[in-house]
Amino acid sequence: MSKTSSTRGGVNRRTVLAGTAALVASPWVISSARAQAKQVNIGVIMPLSGANAQFGINSRNGIELVADEINAAGGIKALGGAKINLIVADSTSTPTTAGTVAQRLITQNDVTAILGAFASSLTIAISEVTERRDIPLLTMSFADQITGRGYKNIFQVVAKASALGKAQLDYTVAIAQAAGAKIDKIAIMYEDTAYGTAQANGLRAAAKAANIDIAMDDAYPLGITDTTPLINKLRASGAQAVFPVSYLNDSLLLIRTMRQQRITMPAIGGAAGYVIPDFEKGLGEFAEGVLSIAPANYDLAPELTERFRKRFGYFMVHEALEHAVALDVLVQAIEKAKSAKAEDVTMALRGAKFTGGWTKAMTGGAVEFDSTGLNILSVPVMVQWRKKELVTVWPKDVAKGTAEWKS
Amino acid sequence: MKRWMLVVLVIVAAALLPLALNPTGYWIRVLTFTLLFAAMAQAWNLIGGLANQTSLGHAAFFGIGAYTSTILLLKFGISPWIGMIAGGALGGLAAFIIAIPTMRLQGHYFALATLAFGEVMRVIANVWTPLTGGPGGLSVPFVPPSFAAYSFKQLLPHTYIALIALIIVTVIFEVIRRGAMGYRLRAIKENPAAAEVIGIDTTKVKLQTAVISGVLMAMLGTLYAQVAVFFDPDTVFSAAAISIRVALIAILGGVGTPIGPILGALFIIPVEELMNDLFSAGAAGLSQLIFGVILIAVILWRPRGFITVFDALIARLSSRGVR
Repeated sequence: MSKTSSTRGGVNRRTVLAGTAALVASPWVISSARAQAKQVNIGVIMPLSGANAQFGINSRNGIELVADEINAAGGIKALGGAKINLIVADSTSTPTTAGTVAQRLITQNDVTAILGAFASSLTIAISEVTERRDIPLLTMSFADQITGRGYKNIFQVVAKASALGKAQLDYTVAIAQAAGAKIDKIAIMYEDTAYGTAQANGLRAAAKAANIDIAMDDAYPLGITDTTPLINKLRASGAQAVFPVSYLNDSLLLIRTMRQQRITMPAIGGAAGYVIPDFEKGLGEFAEGVLSIAPANYDLAPELTERFRKRFGYFMVHEALEHAVALDVLVQAIEKAKSAKAEDVTMALRGAKFTGGWTKAMTGGAVEFDSTGLNILSVPVMVQWRKKELVTVWPKDVAKGTAEWKS
Repeated sequence: MKRWMLVVLVIVAAALLPLALNPTGYWIRVLTFTLLFAAMAQAWNLIGGLANQTSLGHAAFFGIGAYTSTILLLKFGISPWIGMIAGGALGGLAAFIIAIPTMRLQGHYFALATLAFGEVMRVIANVWTPLTGGPGGLSVPFVPPSFAAYSFKQLLPHTYIALIALIIVTVIFEVIRRGAMGYRLRAIKENPAAAEVIGIDTTKVKLQTAVISGVLMAMLGTLYAQVAVFFDPDTVFSAAAISIRVALIAILGGVGTPIGPILGALFIIPVEELMNDLFSAGAAGLSQLIFGVILIAVILWRPRGFITVFDALIARLSSRGVR
């Protein structure tokens, strides 16, 4: 190192000046690459690499399906048939990157709105950018603080995590009751992420309200490799039902270990890893009969969701479905506002009720945002694995089948 | 032309560059993070470069800084400027505590031992929900803009703060490198046993360097929190996104040199962004894959860092200037 420093003596002045000028001019050169065309740019920010990539890809598929359908049907009519131009960007799994990507889509691509980003922490980071720039952000992330901070430009199309956790318990109690069983002791296992903890809070509060004893309440780190101690504790707890909340790999490990040890108590998953095709693929016959809460399910509107299966070869998972709904609602708002300006679209989204199109696939059959941006019509559903498919089994008024309950 | 003139010119150019960017735009955000990561890598360079102890746990100090100032702001309304000093003190304390058992370790053993500390801090931040907000993370509240409150409507002031931070950390690095401590560190690096024999208290010198590095890293954590506005335990205590990245920036640029971390950051941060911009609409994960391939190619091309390219360039320029 020291030997190199002696060589730095004089430098040609012209070279340095030219270098400085090039450095100063570079942003203009870069930003002139923008394209202008008669289309509406919509940003799609998803985790396309890292641990949540599969969920990000599912979400992107759902959004692309709807965008292609709308474009094929003549684009946005109120804007003279303007086409939807999706600008897809990888948020990776780092919130700061998600925020930077959002900044890029807003300034470089002039997006009307942003859809994203599955994981709550990524969505929150994006919302910090969109809120300051007044760009509407539509999301299916669950975390309570998404619409709990009084932000004006965020729209959450599904019920919050705490509501999901509450429904996870309340529906289970109701299902058990309908089968002639009674639950007074449960076990909760959740991963220590924003999603896991928020939903566990909802579960815990609901159990307390229903006077149910929580025999086990354990957090574990995401990516756990040995679940045997957890399962041993579960066996000893004497619980009548277990509520695991986790992404895919952990969910496979937990259920497999349980079933291999012949623990047959009902398992009621907390969406995410429990309601995607890979769950069944990874577990085979062990998946049969596993229940899970979900913000929405594809069997409620097969006429819409079968189009997804036809194109992508697997059933329309809930994150794809909800993102499809988010895009449909956004386009309806643009039609209503007759403008692709972000502030007009936000105005049209707020407080309005959207019906028809993909909104039929949501519980409540429509989407209506309250003043915080939360869709007040969305109610979670309970689904059950039956022969490689997810069947909605609760609430009764939307159920497509009866829940099997073996205690 | 003298060398100090070159330094001044570079600083003036760096000070002018943000003015040419859209003040609410994307590239200014990239530039701000580039400057911040350059400063972080420079802080790492003290211990990783001068003392030759490859730390993979610097996220621990970084996160302590981010959490300290943000918690003080949220709970007591204390300005992040003061929070930054408090965070720096805690970061230094943490570096001291960590250094006592690890400083006697060398090479891979030291790297592995430090790797664990970022992870330990992550778990603590996840579990200590009443204080840290748990896995849900913390949002820096938006207070009326003023310099005293460290709150600005635009990114531009943040960019200049990051630039000034980089200059300060680089000056500290140079002062230590050229001073008596730099000679002691170099002696330890060349031959620890010989250094002991000639009367250098090797453990003490390494400890001092580690504490200074930890203080600076924690203070930069506050700057990062103020720009990013939202962070969670996985973000600031991340091994991959913080600890390994700052080490990578310094090593890619040229470890142990004052210019290395700056060159490394100027390459890594914008190129990663550019790859994301160009390729993330394609196959999922493609942008990260291409970025990884570029990194491997660059390291194979210049195993001793970009500094070797830089030095060759300077040598050629100056020889031409003499003629």
